[in-house]
Amino acid sequence: MDATAAADKGEAALKLLEYADPSHFLSPSADLVTAARAASQHIYSSLVPLSPAQPPSTLLTDPAFDAEQIWSQIELLARPLLPHLRRQLRRLEQQPPSQPQATLPLPVEKPADSEEEEEEDGQGSELDELKELEETDDEEELSDDEEDEEEEEEELDQRAHKGLEDQFLKIGEMAEFLDKGDEEEYGGGANRGEEKKATKNWMAESDDEGDEDRDEEGDEDLEDFEDDDEDGEGEDGGGIMYKDFFEKSHNRPAKKRDGSTKKVQFKEDTHTMELDGSENDDGNVEEEQGLSTHEKEQLKARAKIEQMEKAALESSAWTMQGEVTASSRPINSALEVDLDFEHNVRPAPVITEEVTASLEDMIKKRIAEGHFDDVEKPSLLPSKAPKEHKELDESKSKKGLAELYEDDYAQKAGIAPAPLAISDELKQQANTLFKRICLKLDALSHFHFAPKPVIEDMSVQANVPALAMEEIAPVAVSDAAMLAPEEVFEGKGDVKEEGELTQAERKRRRANKKRRYAASHKERPAKLQKD
Amino acid sequence: MIRRNQRLRREYLYSKSLEGADRAQFEKKRRIRQALEEGKPIPTELRNEEHELRRQIDLEDQERQVPTNIVDNEYATATIREPKIMLTTSRNPSSPLIQFVKWLPVNLNIMFFAPYCCSFLCQVISEIVEACRSHDITDLILVHEHRGKPDGLIVSHLPHGPTAYFGLLNVVTRHDIKDRKTMGKMSEAYPHLILDNFSTKIGERTATILKHLFPVPKPDSKRIITFANRDDYISFRHHVYEKPGGPKSIDLKEVGPRFELRLYQIKLGTVELSEAKSEFVLRPYINTAKKQRTLGA
Repeated sequence: MDATAAADKGEAALKLLEYADPSHFLSPSADLVTAARAASQHIYSSLVPLSPAQPPSTLLTDPAFDAEQIWSQIELLARPLLPHLRRQLRRLEQQPPSQPQATLPLPVEKPADSEEEEEEDGQGSELDELKELEETDDEEELSDDEEDEEEEEEELDQRAHKGLEDQFLKIGEMAEFLDKGDEEEYGGGANRGEEKKATKNWMAESDDEGDEDRDEEGDEDLEDFEDDDEDGEGEDGGGIMYKDFFEKSHNRPAKKRDGSTKKVQFKEDTHTMELDGSENDDGNVEEEQGLSTHEKEQLKARAKIEQMEKAALESSAWTMQGEVTASSRPINSALEVDLDFEHNVRPAPVITEEVTASLEDMIKKRIAEGHFDDVEKPSLLPSKAPKEHKELDESKSKKGLAELYEDDYAQKAGIAPAPLAISDELKQQANTLFKRICLKLDALSHFHFAPKPVIEDMSVQANVPALAMEEIAPVAVSDAAMLAPEEVFEGKGDVKEEGELTQAERKRRRANKKRRYAASHKERPAKLQKD
Repeated sequence: MIRRNQRLRREYLYSKSLEGADRAQFEKKRRIRQALEEGKPIPTELRNEEHELRRQIDLEDQERQVPTNIVDNEYATATIREPKIMLTTSRNPSSPLIQFVKWLPVNLNIMFFAPYCCSFLCQVISEIVEACRSHDITDLILVHEHRGKPDGLIVSHLPHGPTAYFGLLNVVTRHDIKDRKTMGKMSEAYPHLILDNFSTKIGERTATILKHLFPVPKPDSKRIITFANRDDYISFRHHVYEKPGGPKSIDLKEVGPRFELRLYQIKLGTVELSEAKSEFVLRPYINTAKKQRTLGA
């Protein structure tokens, strides 16, 4: 009774935990705690009989015990129990129960079932167990896959799940197709287990990324991959044919591992496989199958690098060589190249309508203003003297009529000197100046000597030293302006003083004087006698 | 002739040497004149010479008030005489070139229009220049061509004068504009000149060179020749105008060829002197060639 009561209590606790809201677990509540302890106690007691070692029969779940202590008790139970369970499972595998095998769904179902059982058994705190169980599930999956493939290889016509398959869809063929695709993608050796799976996962990720990149970059790589698939499938050369899908062909190109298709691919797609050395083709083919995508990309990159290095070592084209004379480039090559110069000169003006119109406007404006830039006539110096205007003097003449007649007669007779021909004084001055200049020019231009002409110039010369002229006088004064002695002297002939005369000359002088006195005295007495 | 040339050269050098002193004197006179006009005291440094300079100022006439510039000295006597022009071409001219040269409107006082193929013309350029000098010709004009299109013009002022080298662009001859019948005969009156936008020193020099190819016109002449400088390209236009309705309305009729001149060299000697000094040389390959405007803003 106690056992059943306890079992019922445990079930109830389990149910309570099952249907509790997960958010309640976040905050501490006494109900949940007691329910959890009760549930764990129930599970413990149900598992105890199964355990090979003999753990204590009940789980002590007093409120005094904390989580650590309860957990250590569970550990005592669980540790020997797990290997026992694994052994049981393996036995089940090797000796499958006599039931019709569902190939694909089974592996899916089995782990699901086993997972559910494990969940019921070890619910709550056994996360490590679950993880380990998952690993075992994976291993089961893989082994199942291998089993499936082997089955397919042996019995091609064996079809299970006839509900899924029909005239068009054959699951076996689909699997084959997928496998073949994998092989082509990642190289042969489909039976590599985890390694394959690991690479598969990695390639799946990279494929996703890679496809995106390739879609962005270009179609070349995509084409490569497409070509691979297509050419691999259709050996007729070209696309996928109907018979490849829908007709039974015993020669599955996927199963050919000898690489003949690969060979064909190599020779056709030269741009996908750029390996140097065609001799190495056969050897490389075998290697190519074993290379991963990364290694393939590396090969491509290396090929490119070698190409670029070769180009860099060679001399560049003449357009890239800096200063190039005509002798160092081929004939007429400069005509074909599109050279770009920077022109520093402003281009010639294109004469458009607007330009012509603006010019004409400017011209019209200038005409209207009359503003021209003509050559101007120079202002000529007068070559002729201006005409003399004889002014009639209105005032009464001072000379009487008789005197006027007298002057005329004197002129005609030649007695009086001719009056000045030019009336004006300024003119007179100019005349003298001009005569002086002419004189100098003549002297310059002739080699023979001509003496200075006498210019008659009348002026009154006072015989007085300059000092006597003004009181305030300049210091340096010469008496050269005074009259010369011969100009002062009046007389004729050889002048002798009284002391210098000889006796005979003295007598002569006295005789002359008597004679003169006598002549003048003869007149006087005649006058006096008359009185 | 040789001695005359030597004397002229010596005169030139002498006047060039005097130019500096002349300019200083002119400056002083100008300052005194200015001071007198404004009523300000004469500057102290000129007090000693003030009397003499004042006397000279009084005796000066219009001509002497401006200082003599020896650069344009070649054209000093040009205004007195009428220009006599010799127009010729390069060797073996083609017929379009001869047509173009025939209709150049400079043919007013052309003494010899001899397009080089004539047998009586000398073959060597130095001999041509000598012949021109002996015949008292003032200007020699050479026209060059490329495949029928005129592409070069050389204007040389003859008594030792300056030579201007032009390139011709966008040449439109009289034939191209219209047929000859509608245009009629080219008027032979002395034309008015319009020289637009020659504002720099070199621009003024070019303007004088071009100006003195033409004689002094009558004030009522109806013929206009335009040299308009746009961006260092001189546009040559030849119009005849009418005033049909009053003075304000002006009717322009284009007559004669139309081309653009581009000055690329001015030399201070005649054409045949290879070692003559260059007054101006065009340099289109320097980095700032785009910014330069040598003939005017």
